[in-house]
Amino acid sequence: MSEPQDSAADKLAARVASATPEPLARRVRGLSDRAIAWLFISPTIVLLLAINIFPLIWTIYLSFTNYKANRINRPIEFIGLRNYERVLTDTDIWHTLQVTAHFLCWTMTLQVVLGFGLAWLINKQFKGHGLWTTVILLPMMLSPAVVGNFWTFLYQPQIGLFNYAVSFVTGIPPSSFQMIGDVNLAPWAIVIVDTWMWTPYIMLICLAGLRSIPDYIYEAAEVDRASKWRQFWSITLPMVLPFLMLAVLFRSIENFKMFDLVVELTSGGPGSVTELASINLKREAFEKWRTGYSSAFAIILFVTVFGAASIYVKALNKVKQR
Amino acid sequence: MRGVSKHFGEIPAVDHLDLTVGNGEFVVLLGPTGAGKTTTLRLVAGLEKLDAGTISIGGHDMTTADPAVRDVSFVFQQYSLYPHLSVYENLAFPLRSPAHPHSKSEIRRRVTAIAEMLRITHKLDNRATQLSGGEMQRVAIGRAMVREPQIYLMDEPLSSLDAKLRADLRLELKRIQQDLGATLLYVTHDQIEAMTMANRIGVIDQGRLIQVGTPREIYQDPCNLYVASRLGQPAINVIPPGLIPRFAVPPGTASIGARTEHMHISRSVNGSGQGKVEWIEHLGDQNHLHVRIGDHQIITLVDPETPMSRGDDVDIALTGPLFFDAAGNRLRGTGDG
Ligand SMILES: Nc1ncnc2c1ncn2[C@@H]1O[C@H](COP(=O)(O)OP(=O)(O)O)[C@@H](O)[C@H]1O
Ligand SMILES: [Mg+2]
Repeated sequence: MSEPQDSAADKLAARVASATPEPLARRVRGLSDRAIAWLFISPTIVLLLAINIFPLIWTIYLSFTNYKANRINRPIEFIGLRNYERVLTDTDIWHTLQVTAHFLCWTMTLQVVLGFGLAWLINKQFKGHGLWTTVILLPMMLSPAVVGNFWTFLYQPQIGLFNYAVSFVTGIPPSSFQMIGDVNLAPWAIVIVDTWMWTPYIMLICLAGLRSIPDYIYEAAEVDRASKWRQFWSITLPMVLPFLMLAVLFRSIENFKMFDLVVELTSGGPGSVTELASINLKREAFEKWRTGYSSAFAIILFVTVFGAASIYVKALNKVKQR
Repeated sequence: MRGVSKHFGEIPAVDHLDLTVGNGEFVVLLGPTGAGKTTTLRLVAGLEKLDAGTISIGGHDMTTADPAVRDVSFVFQQYSLYPHLSVYENLAFPLRSPAHPHSKSEIRRRVTAIAEMLRITHKLDNRATQLSGGEMQRVAIGRAMVREPQIYLMDEPLSSLDAKLRADLRLELKRIQQDLGATLLYVTHDQIEAMTMANRIGVIDQGRLIQVGTPREIYQDPCNLYVASRLGQPAINVIPPGLIPRFAVPPGTASIGARTEHMHISRSVNGSGQGKVEWIEHLGDQNHLHVRIGDHQIITLVDPETPMSRGDDVDIALTGPLFFDAAGNRLRGTGDG
């Protein structure tokens, strides 16, 4: 079977070789390995420069100007650090950052606790744990738009299952509260949906961490007279911690930029109680068309995430090296 | 341990094992790989549930007790160190049990003493994963020794060390055991470890304890061919009764076991010897002499200064060898030569 294939490949190579014009062939043959390597990776580099690096540099440039993307004919004026000054003294911006911080803290706390707990239970290898793992992982695989849409129905005061479930547990009538419409409840509505969607992710990574702890370590601890409680605190938790921290890093960066799910659910409302930084950014850039100003805001957000993530990664490495 | 059995599926890993380890005694279980040695220790430690029999430790029935209440310490074959902790913390771990508290200074004192004894003081701050195999094994031994449990269980603790360190630690371990008056159940496939350290040796094969006795008894008075062949360097020579002429054997003898000390080999004077020297293996302090008799080969120890050389014809005389019947069991009669 393999022989004819080989000869077919040989034939193809021979055809390509004979079809290549002699001057070009001579030039390719003269190239060094290094040059050929560059030849192969250059398309990727060009693409990367064009769609990642160039926009970033362009955004940095725009953040120092008064450019407005809906008035392309206006001359671009260089205004120094004025945009940054305005962003940092804007109370609306500080409000959105506060909303983002609230969202970030609560989603992370809930997801870590629930994700770790679920992973711990599933790691107990009870009957049918394979099926349960699949069921639990489902939300993560859905598109945020679908999830957002789906939960707006669940949150419906009249017909929503969520309201009925709450009423079933607590006894308050289902239509007496509105998760999305209420100023006090809306921030929690988005926390709940994000937790529902992304807890499986944390669980999956914790599960990998738990599975990496060999049984004989627990046996040694057992003989060393460590209680189950102590085994958890001095073996399970420290050994899963690097995994958990990595999961939190990924999720935090994602949630700092959270946009689609919340837009689908509340669009930042009511008022602006669920207006996360990225939603505000989109408003400034593409509704109010303050391109220079929003560029400055974007750069500030980028530097914040980048700085926080670097510090966090340092801490993570420390934990891993203990 | 009384009538202890443990099966994994169809395979009996430990089969009706009876063994009593006296207080302050050093008992070694000797057997080849897969004999059920590890399983026996795990049963004593409570890491494995037994199918039949009882286990009592310190006079209390512990057949179904949790490992923690049995008060044993275990050196695992695969080290089982806590990979995320430093060597110091690994050694201190058994002492930090909230139910049996030790003061900080007490922990420090014991850990440094153990580390010094096992020569790992300079590695105390390393992580357990940044050690060589031999160092890990020493930490594992140390972790078992910081406590003073009812019984120490050790699963081939010296197997991954180099020869010199193994010899050192063998003596050290024996000395510590005598100083502390500690009770030890020690498992190995190495006959030298068994012979040098044990008060008593239990020879185990396929989950069954074949013979228990002092190293001397086991060596000089093995109950069957299997036990005899486990001990002695070079291994015992097994020869059929008719091989050496004019040597009377008890009735029923199927094979004769002859060690170096049972044989006298001399150069035959008239060139009509029964055997021929085939090969001399030089081991430094002693030589192994390979002699061919008919289609059998015999290996014995000889002096390095032996006058014999390859191709010599030799006479062989037996004095008080061991006799075994067709099933391999020992026959207690005496032959004469
Ligand atoms: N967890 C297990 N599951 C199935 N079989 C096992 C298990 N542990 C040991 N065995 C079997 O039991 C027998 C004795 O094993 P073990 O006690 O480890 O021997 P040793 O320590 O003397 O080398 C072996 O045949 C081994 O294959
Ligand atoms: Mg073993």
